[in-house]
Amino acid sequence: MVAALSAAGCAACAAALSGGRLLRAEDVPGRGAVPLAEEGGLAPRRARWFRSLPGEWVQCGLCPHGCKISEGERGTCGTRENRRGVLHTMVHSRPCSVALDPVEKKPFFHLVPGALALSLATPGCNFECKGCQNWEIAQARPEQVKTVALPPEDAVALALNRGAKLIACTYTEPVTFSEYVFDLAAAGRRSALKTVVVSNGYIQEEPLRDLSPVLSAYKVDLKGFTERFYKDHCGGELKPVLDTLRRLVRYGVWTEIVVLVIPSLNDGPGEIRDLARFVRGELGAEVPLHFTRFHPAYRLTNLPPTPVSTLERCRDLALKEGLSFVYLGNVPGHAGESTYCPGCGARLVRRVGMATLENRIEKGACPDCRRRIPGLWS
Amino acid sequence: MTLSRRRDLLRGLAAAAIAPLAAPLERAASALPFAGPPPGPGSGPSRAVVAVGRREGICPVPGGAVNEARLTEALGAAVSRAAGESDPVSAFRRLFRPRDVVGIKVNCAAGRGLSSRPEAAFQLGRWLVAAGVPPERIVIWDRFSRELKVCRYTAGSGSGVRVAGTDGDWEAKVREWGPSASRFSRLLVEELTAVINLAVLKDHGLAGVSAGLKNWYGVVHNPNKLHEEGCNPFVPHLAAFPLVREKHRLTVVDGTTGQFHNGPGYAPSWAWPYQGFLASTDAVAADAVAWTVIEEKRKEKGLKTLAAEGREPRSIGAAARLGLGTCDPAKIEAVQV
Repeated sequence: MVAALSAAGCAACAAALSGGRLLRAEDVPGRGAVPLAEEGGLAPRRARWFRSLPGEWVQCGLCPHGCKISEGERGTCGTRENRRGVLHTMVHSRPCSVALDPVEKKPFFHLVPGALALSLATPGCNFECKGCQNWEIAQARPEQVKTVALPPEDAVALALNRGAKLIACTYTEPVTFSEYVFDLAAAGRRSALKTVVVSNGYIQEEPLRDLSPVLSAYKVDLKGFTERFYKDHCGGELKPVLDTLRRLVRYGVWTEIVVLVIPSLNDGPGEIRDLARFVRGELGAEVPLHFTRFHPAYRLTNLPPTPVSTLERCRDLALKEGLSFVYLGNVPGHAGESTYCPGCGARLVRRVGMATLENRIEKGACPDCRRRIPGLWS
Repeated sequence: MTLSRRRDLLRGLAAAAIAPLAAPLERAASALPFAGPPPGPGSGPSRAVVAVGRREGICPVPGGAVNEARLTEALGAAVSRAAGESDPVSAFRRLFRPRDVVGIKVNCAAGRGLSSRPEAAFQLGRWLVAAGVPPERIVIWDRFSRELKVCRYTAGSGSGVRVAGTDGDWEAKVREWGPSASRFSRLLVEELTAVINLAVLKDHGLAGVSAGLKNWYGVVHNPNKLHEEGCNPFVPHLAAFPLVREKHRLTVVDGTTGQFHNGPGYAPSWAWPYQGFLASTDAVAADAVAWTVIEEKRKEKGLKTLAAEGREPRSIGAAARLGLGTCDPAKIEAVQV
C-alpha cells in the first residue's frame, strides 16, 4: 500500500538523522486512510472559538486575523468554514502527517531528552511564510491533501503502542486545529502523555488560555523581530506573537523559542539583539532560544542556506545579552546543539543532529555545580 | 443548432432589442460609481461594449428554476453583441478556433441558489460546438466536482461537453504572481487554450463585488490567502497573470439571480431576480457594469453604497490600471440587447 500520509520534509530529515520515522496509513489504527475531501472525506465539526454576526456571518475567534466569514466561505487558514452561521473546523481528527520524531526535532531541548513524540499535523496555516519548509501541507486546504481518520483516543493508543512519551502538534500550524489539539491533550493526560505544540504563536488570548492548562509545552516559531518582516514575509503581525509569548510565561507553560534565520531578511545584528533583549527582559533569561538554519524552500528559493557563521554570530549576540540557553539548529554536529551549564560551563546534554547522545542532568540540576537547569526533564 | 431554431433565436433577439426589460440600465455607463483610472498608459482600451441581455421570466424567483428558452434568448443576445456579431454562433466563430480547447469557468462556490446556471454553461457549450469546436474540447469546470454536482452540472447533459472539477489536480510547483504565489489548476495550465469566464453577479462582503475578475480565484489552490485588503491587489494581479489573461476571451456575468448584499454566500433575503446576463470581451468593463447594477439595486433597497460601507471594489480600478480593460465610464457602452 502506498503511504497515504503526506511527508513533511522535515519528517524525512528526522528519519535520516535520528531514527524517527514517518508512519504509513497501515500503521494508523482506526479507519485509516480517508478519501480526498472532495470525495467526501471532510469531517466538519463545530468550532469552539467564534462569534455570530448578522446575516449568518461569523467572526473566527481563534487567531488575530479575526476573519469575518460569510455562509459557505472559509477564513484565511482555509480550515474553518461557515455553515449556516456556525463556524466549523474541517480538520478535527484528520491529520495529513503522522510520524514518530525525537522531541529534539521540534526543537525542544529542555523537555524529556531523547523521548519520542507522536507528531501530527492537519493541513493548513494562518500564515503564508515565503520560506515555509512544509508548504505542500501548510499552504494547502484540507481537500487538497490526503488525510487519515485519527480521533484523539486512537492517537493516544498509537503513541503508547509506539513508545512515545509525547504527542506533538507540529509541521503545519496547530493554532488552526486547536479543537483537535485540545482533545488530543485531554486524552493524552488521561494516559500520562504530554502534549506539546510547535506554533507560530498567532493565537488570540481566549483560545490560548483554554489550551494552556492541558498543554505541557509550547514552542513558538518567532519569524523575525520586525513588523515589516511579519507583514512582508509571513502575512501576519509581530505584536500578537509577542503577546502570546508573554502569556505563555504568565500561564506557566514551558516555552522555547525558535528563530529560522534567513540570510538578508531577518539576520541583522540589531534585530537579533533586540530579540534577545525582549526574551531576557520580558520572558526571562532562562527561556531557551534556538537559531536554526534556513534552507531554500517555497517562495524563497533565490536565497542561499544560512551560513553557519551567521548562526554563530546570532548565538554570540544572544549569549552576550544574558540569555542562558541559546542553541543552533539544522547544523548537525555543531557544539551549539548541546546544553551547557550557565553556572560552571560543563556540557550537560550532548546532542548531534536530533539525537541526544548523553544527558548528565540530575534532578533538574547540573551534577557538577548543582545549578538548576529549567525544563521538564522527565 | 437547426436553421429554424436559429431563426427563432434571431427573432427573439430582435424583439428583445425593441422592447428591453424595463430597468434603469440605460444610465448604466454614466452612472458608474467611480472615478475611473488615471489617464495614460495602462488605462485600458479606447472603448468597451458591455452587452446587457435581460428577459422577463428567465428566473422569476431568486435561486429558482429558469425558463431555458428565455435564458437562451438573453444569453445569446448578450454574447452576440459583446463580440459584435448578429448571433452567438458567429460570435464564437470570431472568438474561438476549432482547435481551441475551451474552458467555461463557472462559479459554484455559493451553492445551487447563486451559482453560474448550468443551463447557461451548457448553452454556451452548444454554441461553441455549432461554431466548430468539438465537444470533447470543451470543458465546463470549477474548483470541485462536489460543488459542480450540487449545482446540477452533470457531464454531457445533451451537448457532449465535459464537466470537471480541478479537485486535487493542481500543478506540483508554485508559481509567483503579483503579490502572491499559487499552484494553478493543471487543466488551465496544460489543456485549455481559451476560457469563457461565466461568473455570478453578486455582492461580496470583502471585495465589494464578485463578478468576472474574482471568479479567477477558482483556478488557484489557495484562494483563502487572497482576501486581505478587500482582495486587492490580489484580484487584478491574478487576472493579469499571463496564464489567465492570455486565455481569457469572454466574460459573461450570470445575473439570472443576483445578490446585492451579504454575499458572497447565498442569502435569499438579499437576492433578486435580475433575470439577465452581462457579456463583454473587456474583463474590467464587465465588472464595472456589474458593480453599477449592484449599486443601483442597493440604492433601490435603501442600502448604503459599497464605498460608504468601506468595501468599494477597488480591485476593478486596479485591474484597469494593469491594462486588463477599462473602467472609465466615458469609455464603456452598456448596451441593452
